Amino acid sequence: MKTSLFIVIVIISGAFAGLVHGSANLVIVEPYLDSATSIEQQGLLAEGDDEARFWAEYENYRTWQKGGQVIAGILLGVSMGALFGIVYAISRESLPGGSDLGKSLFLAGIMWAVVYFVPFLKYPANLPTVGEPETLAFRTILYLSFVAISCMGAVIFYKISKRFTGRKKLYAFAGYCVLIISSFVILPNSPDDISLSQGLVDGFRIASILGVSAFWVMMGLLFGVLWSKYKPHIHTV
Amino acid sequence: MPQSIQRMSSKIGLPVAGIAILAAIFVIGLFVSSFDQGHILSLVYGEQAFDNQFLHELTHDMRHAAGFPCH
Repeated sequence: MKTSLFIVIVIISGAFAGLVHGSANLVIVEPYLDSATSIEQQGLLAEGDDEARFWAEYENYRTWQKGGQVIAGILLGVSMGALFGIVYAISRESLPGGSDLGKSLFLAGIMWAVVYFVPFLKYPANLPTVGEPETLAFRTILYLSFVAISCMGAVIFYKISKRFTGRKKLYAFAGYCVLIISSFVILPNSPDDISLSQGLVDGFRIASILGVSAFWVMMGLLFGVLWSKYKPHIHTV
Repeated sequence: MPQSIQRMSSKIGLPVAGIAILAAIFVIGLFVSSFDQGHILSLVYGEQAFDNQFLHELTHDMRHAAGFPCH
């Protein structure tokens, strides 16, 4: 395999998909973050504060954070793209889909589910003001544990599925579901209460799903197109 | 006339160096974009980096939007 070309394809597709993710979030997620941070700031405005100055500083702070949305999107995109590239290189020959574009889109769908959506069902995205700083380490451990269980479960049951043929492969999928449901029941819930309106939280979570889904669709599409065009797996000797 | 022979890489041809580089990019990129609380810049700015949380604030909105724990 042409290593340099392989890495370049991963970085370009990850960065561009991350750019799309960050840009989409500016439109669909930021209104919810603005609402939540505004509520949070109202609670911090103390009696006697210069209100105009307080809100001007808040606007500057939010402008900085919103600018970071796109930069962080590219950074996270390259990072998740690197993981995608590793999994693709290892599993390419056994992925269904016919063409490299089909294989890439199939893997993007699997990784969207395993890395993001399944953990999201247990520990969904939350708005600012929901999580207490004191519980951040605990929530991070819970979240990463669920992601690790989902990822390792997918790999293990995929290996098991290769021993079966036909409809018996569904046993492996059923095994993954049992693992996830068991983890769902055993692991504790997020310790923080939600004091915001449920409508605001639900809207934000739907926007989060749309943004992350846009990333994985773009990742699968771009990676598949670039791989098909430049074929890094073919040696010319 | 030189002939070029195209050969499909097998599993043996997996780019170990490439995968190692991508693994490093994945771990470092994920930590910076999703979990850092001042740790990276504390290597340069010391304890002050934990108060400023430059990277945390820069990536704050994406952390929430992508489902990572934040506050």
